[in-house]
Amino acid sequence: MWLRSLARNVAGLSVVGLSLVGLSLGASPSPARAALGRAYSSVESDRSVLGATVQSVSAGAYTVHTLALANRGAVKEFTRPDGVVFAVAWRGPGRPDLRQLLGEHFDTVQAEAAATSGRRLGRPLSVNRSDLMVISGGHPGAFWGVAVIPQLQPAGFSASGLK
Amino acid sequence: MFRRAGVLAAMLVLSACGGGGGGGSSPSPTPTPVALTNFAAVTVDQGPPALAVGPNGYIESDVAYVSVTVCAPGSSTNCQTIDHVQVDTGSIGLRIFGSVLNPSLLSALPSETDTSANPVAECYQYVDGYVFGSVRTTDMTIGGEKVANMPFQVLADTGQFASVPRSCSSAGGSNLSTVQAFGSNGIIGIGTTTTDCGVYCASGGQSAAIYYDCPSTGCNAVIARAANASAPFQQLPNPVAAMSVDNNGTILVLPSTPASGQPTLTGTLYFGIGTQSNNGLGSATIYTTSTSSSSNGPGLITAIYNGQTLPNSFLDSGSSLYFFEDGAIPLCTSAGFKGLYCPATTLTLSPVIKGLNGASYTDTFSLYNAETVFNANPSYSVIPGVGANPNIIFPSTAYAGSFDFGLPFFFGRSVYTAIEGRTAGGTVGPYYAF
Repeated sequence: MWLRSLARNVAGLSVVGLSLVGLSLGASPSPARAALGRAYSSVESDRSVLGATVQSVSAGAYTVHTLALANRGAVKEFTRPDGVVFAVAWRGPGRPDLRQLLGEHFDTVQAEAAATSGRRLGRPLSVNRSDLMVISGGHPGAFWGVAVIPQLQPAGFSASGLK
Repeated sequence: MFRRAGVLAAMLVLSACGGGGGGGSSPSPTPTPVALTNFAAVTVDQGPPALAVGPNGYIESDVAYVSVTVCAPGSSTNCQTIDHVQVDTGSIGLRIFGSVLNPSLLSALPSETDTSANPVAECYQYVDGYVFGSVRTTDMTIGGEKVANMPFQVLADTGQFASVPRSCSSAGGSNLSTVQAFGSNGIIGIGTTTTDCGVYCASGGQSAAIYYDCPSTGCNAVIARAANASAPFQQLPNPVAAMSVDNNGTILVLPSTPASGQPTLTGTLYFGIGTQSNNGLGSATIYTTSTSSSSNGPGLITAIYNGQTLPNSFLDSGSSLYFFEDGAIPLCTSAGFKGLYCPATTLTLSPVIKGLNGASYTDTFSLYNAETVFNANPSYSVIPGVGANPNIIFPSTAYAGSFDFGLPFFFGRSVYTAIEGRTAGGTVGPYYAF
């Protein structure tokens, strides 16, 4: 609750760092709501589930919430001025809990993965739809990816901002 | 037969290196031939027969395989040689499907146990999915190298290990639970680190690996496993790092292939770098990589492509293709070739490979139309110069900052992979050399 009000301030300021006690993975029941396409409060749910610390930085038309993971990897959640999460990016030694981070959109990612057959070829997770775009890659120990809901992107947002 | 091919290849390398780099000792005017056994034959072929079965059957391509013998610890008779185990310089650990192990052997492979005296299982992520199964110990033999009591994973194991924990499948992608889905009978990960999770798992966290406590009711709780870099291992070790000798890295030696590809090829995987007369660095150049304390992960080098610096690049025998972002190259249109490059004419590409030590090399190669090359010879398992774009959505961003030099890069080369913290040929790993 206090996080949400703080975030409202963050959007108008520049930088704020929040160092919170991390919860160990799997030690707490999963909050029901996940981030992508949801309100800012879901970023706090993700932070809790992932046992992360969060730092929020305003980039003008949007705010980037960087969740620092215990394995030195990071998850970035991008919110519009109204607090809605329109993109989630990840990078680090392991692929994070995408079921949590992508919410109902996780099923779309899984359906696309299941649609390929024949030679494995090791093609990374990807979705190219009008209502969801996902790209990813890497190898064990060094993964990256990003998921975006195009319709929710704030005006003037460029994909280069996701890096 | 494999052994003979390997010896021949060993002699070729020896002569190519002008006597190898094992030197330093006093010169001998009449060298005595030594029967070296620090290598195993590698094949690139259609894969195990299970891949071709049923409506989803296929012929594998650009996957390098070795045979690995697993024995019940302490036994010289309860053993089985597993063919078609994928050679992967981009991951860590030996993993074999439970379905290909004789029941009498599987039942004699003891589970690793945790602080609750329960069996241990593991989830391990690949770029397109994940595997899950028990962690057991075996006496492993590959080529002439043996490792006793080595932790490895039995993929898609049964009993209390049958159900995949939700926190494993939550990372997304396919459950690679069958030989056909995985593309091999198992995998031997021989990348740049000594264990498959390192410090990340030492406090109950995760990297690509997540370890589980498995009471008889099933696997649920994530557990810590120490990052011991030598025996006794708590995590799956790099099998090469676990060897008593020749344990500082590998050389994957594969012949070149014509532009059309070919049905199969054979090569050699050497164990050790600069430890024997057949595994010297010779004239190879060293490209040092990121370590496991890097925030983006170990084993990364820089590539420069189309003027963009890509700091998350790597050499990976476990990738069947070159994966890189170039929005100017057309993608294939057929469903089975989703994301692969289909240039109208063969392109000559020249990415620069740059080690963290500053050493650089321009890799000039031909990128062929994937659909044309695959369809011209559907039965070929060796396909050169085929690539895919992992970023088909934001083509101008070079989002990944990565160039993945897959198995086609290894054709016609001797590629060295040195293990983190191990001195190999006078230089401390991790590094690649070629």
